Amino acid sequence: MTRRFSALQLLLDAARGGSASLEALWPRRSPSGPYDVIIVGGGGHGLATAYYLAREFKLRRIAVLERTLVGYGNVGRNTTIVRSNYLLPQNQRFYEDSLKRWGTLARELNFNIMYSRRGVLDLAVSDEDLVALRRRGNAMRLSGIDAQLLDRAAVARFVPQLDVDAPRQFPIVGGLLQRRGGTVRHDAVAWGYARAAAALGVDVIERCEVLGLARRAGRIAGVESDRGFIAGERVALAVAGRTASLAARLGLALPLETHLLQAGVTEPVKPMLDTVLIYMFPGAGEVYVSQSDRGGLVFGGMLDGHPSMTQSGAVSRVRDVSRALTALLPQTADLALLRHWAGMNDMTMDGSPIIDKLGSEELFLNGGWCYGGFKAIPASGRAFAELIARGEAPELIRPFRLSRFLTGHVLDEKGAGPFPARQ
Amino acid sequence: MLIRCPFCGEREAAEFRFRITRPEVAGTAAERLYLRRADPQRSIEHWQHAEGCRMWLEVTRDLTSGAVLAVSAELTRAAG
Repeated sequence: MTRRFSALQLLLDAARGGSASLEALWPRRSPSGPYDVIIVGGGGHGLATAYYLAREFKLRRIAVLERTLVGYGNVGRNTTIVRSNYLLPQNQRFYEDSLKRWGTLARELNFNIMYSRRGVLDLAVSDEDLVALRRRGNAMRLSGIDAQLLDRAAVARFVPQLDVDAPRQFPIVGGLLQRRGGTVRHDAVAWGYARAAAALGVDVIERCEVLGLARRAGRIAGVESDRGFIAGERVALAVAGRTASLAARLGLALPLETHLLQAGVTEPVKPMLDTVLIYMFPGAGEVYVSQSDRGGLVFGGMLDGHPSMTQSGAVSRVRDVSRALTALLPQTADLALLRHWAGMNDMTMDGSPIIDKLGSEELFLNGGWCYGGFKAIPASGRAFAELIARGEAPELIRPFRLSRFLTGHVLDEKGAGPFPARQ
Repeated sequence: MLIRCPFCGEREAAEFRFRITRPEVAGTAAERLYLRRADPQRSIEHWQHAEGCRMWLEVTRDLTSGAVLAVSAELTRAAG
């Protein structure tokens, strides 16, 4: 069922014409079991975990249960940015691992994930911003991660379509550039991992909602779903923005809550932006923007500011984020907004993720990705797989243990305190 | 959307700022500080009428629909 994609295959398909090349990327499966591992959540993290469990740890019977359809959740709703420009060494190490994996993933999955190393540029709008960016850049370089501090003139040279001289409420004074950062086609990541996992025997089961955990004789026995009981020895939760709602259903108290942020895509235009810009717009949050290969400007803002699970957002927030975009790039003011949506973000009390085994049960949690889960997919999948397979967390993700909140080892990138809305 | 402030009457939602979700967790100080167990359909939160009277209010909301269920001037302790 899974053919190898290649240039030769493209030519053969073209010769055969049309429907010969149309086949499902992965087979439709119904729940069976019993499974060695049940992964709840068929997003980027869940599918990647299944892939690495099958490929590296050779587990045979793995199921991924997806409530809706692969690609419908946050993996298909993010703004596709990948980077490792973090301040804290524990986060730097982890996201660097992920960034390096992005580099070889297309070949490994035999699927074009369109990793574009177009750079990620954090713009400074004040001298204080520059101080903070310089500090973060130095922290990155101390860890061997690429970082460049640009002055105003250098920003203008790097981004020709950005007029640094245009009068702005918050003028651009410089920026911090990570050249190895960039974008990856988000849908391709979901499909690529699903296809590769299915080819290794993973059951990718769509339209299956987990309603609760099943226990027999005090041990995890599987899950209760809207398609009945599914037996499994180990249950791994990877539902990202739905972590708080699933936790409520399972009776778990976790240091996180769900917040929305707004994102959108404009109509396609000719190539005008070949990097990722991040612009602080104090009072209305921030906007980050890049241009997709189809020509639309993909942009997003910061959190709406209050918990919500509605997956839509206040119109005033869409307006705020759009206004930040047109303040940064005035030439976008007349563009049509083709699509806009809100993403549900599992915001933790320190802004950093949680990957851990929950207590002594065969129950594992991967969540708390806040608004930054997409870039983490390869590293998270690989490390979570090792945790599930071995029962012990690899060094890379030990800082993300759940107990850190109660022992004072929080990973507070922003130093904002225990306020999810401020991370 | 309008929210009824007990002191000011019905005002635009944008005048109010979310501050924290009231923890529904008993236990140690760290557990009460960090852990959350909000019922998605009945989340009890502390908001401030930041652009009005600036009083702190207890707002009960349904997170799945966005509806405001109750607004009170009394900040209650969580049920143990």
